[in-house]
Amino acid sequence: MSSIGVASERAAFAGSVRNPRLEPALERAGIDPRRIRLGAFPMNAVQETKLDWDPYNPDYFRDPHSVFARLREEAPLYHNERYGFYAVSRYADVERCMGDWETFSSARGDILEMIQANFPVPRGSFIHHDPPLHTAYRKVLTRVFTPKRMAALEPQIRQFCARSLDPLVESGEFDFIANLGAEMPMRVIGMLLGIPEEDQVAIRERVDANLRTEQGKPMDYSKTTKMGEGFEGYIDWRVSHPSDDLMTALLAVEFEDETGAARRLTRDEILVIVNIIAGAGNETTNRLIGWTGKLLAEHPDQRRQIHQDRSLIPQAIEEILRYEPPGPAVARYVTRDVEFHGSTVPAGSALVALVAAANRDERKFPNGGQFDIHRKRLPHLTFGYGFHNCLGNALARVEGRIALDEILNRFPEWDVDLDRGYLSSTSTVRGWETLPAYTPKAREGRRNRGPVAETSMATGPTSPPAPEPAPAGAERWHVTLQTPMGPQEMTLHLVRDGDTVTGRIDSPMGSEALKNGKIAGNTLTWIMEVKKPMSVKLSFEVQVQGERMTGHAKLGVFGKARLEGQRLAG
Amino acid sequence: MPKITYIEFNGRKHIVDAAPGLSVMECAKQNGVPGIDADCGGGCSCGTCHVYVDPPWQARVGGRNAIEDATIEFASGVEANSRLSCQIKLTDDLDGLVVRLPESQR
Repeated sequence: MSSIGVASERAAFAGSVRNPRLEPALERAGIDPRRIRLGAFPMNAVQETKLDWDPYNPDYFRDPHSVFARLREEAPLYHNERYGFYAVSRYADVERCMGDWETFSSARGDILEMIQANFPVPRGSFIHHDPPLHTAYRKVLTRVFTPKRMAALEPQIRQFCARSLDPLVESGEFDFIANLGAEMPMRVIGMLLGIPEEDQVAIRERVDANLRTEQGKPMDYSKTTKMGEGFEGYIDWRVSHPSDDLMTALLAVEFEDETGAARRLTRDEILVIVNIIAGAGNETTNRLIGWTGKLLAEHPDQRRQIHQDRSLIPQAIEEILRYEPPGPAVARYVTRDVEFHGSTVPAGSALVALVAAANRDERKFPNGGQFDIHRKRLPHLTFGYGFHNCLGNALARVEGRIALDEILNRFPEWDVDLDRGYLSSTSTVRGWETLPAYTPKAREGRRNRGPVAETSMATGPTSPPAPEPAPAGAERWHVTLQTPMGPQEMTLHLVRDGDTVTGRIDSPMGSEALKNGKIAGNTLTWIMEVKKPMSVKLSFEVQVQGERMTGHAKLGVFGKARLEGQRLAG
Repeated sequence: MPKITYIEFNGRKHIVDAAPGLSVMECAKQNGVPGIDADCGGGCSCGTCHVYVDPPWQARVGGRNAIEDATIEFASGVEANSRLSCQIKLTDDLDGLVVRLPESQR
């Protein structure tokens, strides 16, 4: 495990160099900060250590690019024996994986853990199908997400941005995620799907009413854990209230399925499709907006140029997408023995295609480690390539461009507070969950207010937002859930009262309340809804024996995840 | 050096000298021919560099491969002679090629 230790040290060292104020200076001086992190002088020892990329090691979340650079050069076909996967990192190799669906299949999932667990993929989960099934669904959806239709959304997107940003102009303090990234894309996708804001309350109440009628009866978990849970109300509403939106379109569309039969989509298929689109449309653009805030704060010269000449916005967004892709990796199932760089990846393997590494491959992008909005335009792989390329790429581009334009209209300059920011990296997306920012004027104000400014300017490790205090009288449990996204460590707070249980779970992804908690003997059941990395309803069933807890959580279509817990003192 | 003629939707012609090895999209971009967006920069993944190949040239230019065929679904007004111009590599063989541009890429 020594290589892990070294990796941690390197990350710690990298943290001290990764200074937004220092990096531009290094770049101006012709020094690539990446090379320093790679060990140009004090870190020579690192180069000699065994190359080990652990996708679950948080030390790599903040700066995966150093290890990606080593993978590209030292192990273009990387085999991780501990977790049992292969990875490619060069542009040509990643492109090859995405372009050849027959060898690199999506039919077992596009996330490493999903492929390894061999979960059944529900019909309609088009991102997890191969042709011809994929082609049938994809054709239906492509018509809806055309650049033309997305461009027509511009006025509404501007309005959503204004609504989010206008109230913050006076204070000059804002959060790229909480104030814009988590709001605008959600409103846009809600609008596209056909959940207009004025309907949302009525529909939510209907859904709530349905839940109420079931109280006192045992919950049918087989129904509640279905992917797309929560959208039934919206879909049923649209059956009787057709409109000009995606759900109506999906209800009406006639398509030719993979058997050649002309038919309509089933309600279950629509649920799955809507759930994927809602998840993809929120999270990724949210991350794009965060990276926009961070990268342009670190490159004020380029930001100034964009502010003065807005025609630079499209290429700036492309460079942000290239440099920090919100989805840094995809995975594929290898259907036949295949060769990379003289070695064979056997059929049946899981292969990770490192988009974030490919996007900085010097073989494709000269000075790939440099952020430069003026670089020669070449296709990055952030939206993928081939049949599974991002359906929402036109939407993401429109949203990213308008967001940047509207930000610059109100905040020509800003600084980000990385120490109060929180960066997360899951198997699907990597980016900021909170990213506080302030204008120069607001910074002055903070300085005058004293210690607050001092704290925020201090350097230190990134940490999640402090959780709220635990409910009074709660039992505390340390719980590990073996999810398809890797093992998740959580703290569970339980309050038992007769035959009901309440409380919440704190994890790096945030806090979620337990719902419908019930006690029968030493068996506890509850449900929990998570939004990240996908919108999924989790149904827990655990047995408590003294200080230990065992059981499982049903993760929607992703199957069951084993759970183990240990009671914490106090 | 092959000569390419781009005809805008409004009929305006642009005749440009193309450096071999470029794509029809890149050549338009380099010569300031309007009407091709090419959001993705030539990755065959966005569908915003749609052109119509003038029928006499169709056979020599060739048709769409499977990936291009899927991506061109993003474009409007797709016809049998529709191509994504990032996928047409210019060679001396294509000297005199004529392509027409759609009204808009979006």
